[in-house]
Amino acid sequence: MNSEIPLNWFLYFAAASFSIGLVGVLLRRNAIVVLMAIEIMLNAANINLVAFWRYGTPPPGAGPLAGVILALFVITIAAAEVAVGIGLILLCYRRWNAADVDRYDSLSG
Amino acid sequence: MPPNVPTLDFRDFWHIAPAGVLAAWGLVVLIVDLVLARKRSVDERRRTIGALSMVGVGLALVAAAGLLALGRCAVEHFDTVSNLVGPSLAEYFGRPGGTILLGTTAANFQTDVFNVLYVILLGLVVWISTSYTFTDNWGEYFALLMWATVGMMLLSASEELVMMFLALETMTICLYLLTAMEKSRRRSAEAGLKYFVYGSVSSALFLYGLSLVYGLTGTTQFDAIRQALIDSDPGDGGIAGNLAAASALLLMLVGFGFKVSAVPFHQWAPDVYEGAPAPVTAWVSTGSKIASFVVLLKVFLHAVQPWSHPSNQLMGPGWLALVVVISAVTMTYGNLAALAQKNFKRMLAYSSIAHAGYMLVGVAAVSVSTRGVEAAGSVLYYLVVYAFANIGAFAVAAWVVRDRDGDQIEDLNGMGRQAPFVALCLVLLMLSLIGIPPFAGFFGKLYLFLEALNQGESTERLTLMGLVALGLLNSVISAFYYVRVLKAMYFREPSGARLRPPRAAIAAPVVLSAVVVTVFGVAPTPLINLMKSASAPMLTAVQPASELVPASPAPTPAPAVVPAPAGAPVPAAASGVPESASGLAG
Repeated sequence: MNSEIPLNWFLYFAAASFSIGLVGVLLRRNAIVVLMAIEIMLNAANINLVAFWRYGTPPPGAGPLAGVILALFVITIAAAEVAVGIGLILLCYRRWNAADVDRYDSLSG
Repeated sequence: MPPNVPTLDFRDFWHIAPAGVLAAWGLVVLIVDLVLARKRSVDERRRTIGALSMVGVGLALVAAAGLLALGRCAVEHFDTVSNLVGPSLAEYFGRPGGTILLGTTAANFQTDVFNVLYVILLGLVVWISTSYTFTDNWGEYFALLMWATVGMMLLSASEELVMMFLALETMTICLYLLTAMEKSRRRSAEAGLKYFVYGSVSSALFLYGLSLVYGLTGTTQFDAIRQALIDSDPGDGGIAGNLAAASALLLMLVGFGFKVSAVPFHQWAPDVYEGAPAPVTAWVSTGSKIASFVVLLKVFLHAVQPWSHPSNQLMGPGWLALVVVISAVTMTYGNLAALAQKNFKRMLAYSSIAHAGYMLVGVAAVSVSTRGVEAAGSVLYYLVVYAFANIGAFAVAAWVVRDRDGDQIEDLNGMGRQAPFVALCLVLLMLSLIGIPPFAGFFGKLYLFLEALNQGESTERLTLMGLVALGLLNSVISAFYYVRVLKAMYFREPSGARLRPPRAAIAAPVVLSAVVVTVFGVAPTPLINLMKSASAPMLTAVQPASELVPASPAPTPAPAVVPAPAGAPVPAAASGVPESASGLAG
């Protein structure tokens, strides 16, 4: 099935959302927002994986696992990461009464 | 099931038995802790659950050592092994090492040796953990330690991107939680959150790099990636004009740089090492570093080796030039920053950054080398020696925290008088970390630097020689801050609370590590030979042709896949050559 939407569009979209996520991690100070930005980055990579899987032809000897399997696993991993991340943010929030990553500065040097 | 998917051989699960035992034992520990939680005090639970965890570690050690022995003996003593485990399994273990579980995981001499190593180190960490009470949640703590180890075992055995990423996350997610386990201290929670943010951002960058690699090659298997890259000859320009390849490489370097704490991706390391409870720091600085380095060697020296320096200039476009620069910066920065530290654990963090720099010299050497296996073996030797020295040092840190409630270098004051024997062992560990003969650290550096000097064309040799010279200079610098520890122990009056004599939980790991670095320093040959024979299958692991090539390959000579985002010329990805795995494995 020849596609209506060229592969490049998917890659541009993924690169754009990846950059948005990266900028979010670097610029935003709220820990929850940082967590959201990380999720955006992971999902950008997922879009890449699915697009490459859909449009690509595996070389001979590529093995049975297509790249789309990685995307499935990444979704699971992202969920686990959110659970752990929220837990850690809560732990810090209780100590500092702030969810601001700049405030956590007892370690430095 | 589609016709060309090979069936899973269920005997494959025997090869990941140590990881399986640890994963299951983590659940056992959790349940027992739940049962005990209401009746016993925290200290009692620490001892009971700790002992129970040691039982699990013992079982895993039996499994790992058994696998190692079976793999070694199945060919020569086929009849004995056959009587022991049955002919089917004996024949299975007698096969030459290859990949298992649909080609995702390696099972060979290297994975068996490293499984044993991880279990031994885990045993030491669990033992140190039982020495003092720093958390209430002992069941979760020990379970997470074991599950992190499962991640490490699978990570250093992975032969495929999906498995690698999954194992990497299993390992690091457990370590994030372990870092934040010390409830009574604010810095522990902060270190956990910092580790989490840095770690997951680097994972996301890494994953994006992996997705580009998948797009460029059409496969996730290391060996097939290598083949696809070789087939798509980039020409003299190397990957200079190839935006997708360059960003894939850069992102993967960032990801690995975080995991092995190389400058400039090291910021998390000092905070995490200082904030985490000492036994957890020991595990972060040894286990996760070994696993990350092993998989780094596999990915860079096997899978994307064709991208190392495609234009045949050492400092030309490719990852080799970057690794050379990163290695130089890492060892220099790590050592200079360590000079200024007052906290013992933080100093060890910078020292471990510096050691990562030395090991990256080895990675660069393997890549230009004609003796790749020996050079990789010297990196593995260095890793093992470094790991034991660090475990011992962090055991001392745990002891000082327990008795003096602080882990500054000045908290070590007077230790030479109050506990002469343990202090002597710490002296041996520090001397090994500096690299003074006859300790194992010296031979680690010697082999590493000699392999780097032996390599390649004259121009390459010049660059590597400069790197080695820098490494030697750095070893001299490092002596200053390690000696400060010795000065505190022997030339300062005891300050703070008196150190109680260490129980076995502290003393045994320290003494054992000191024995290891001394014995393998006086007689380094057995270990270096072992590591060289372990590195051979690591760098050449290929799919057993009989299993993974589909019955009807149907080689469609379809054109390549991927136009790069910026329309840059991309190496033809799947060139449809009807031989790759079978030709290579034959």
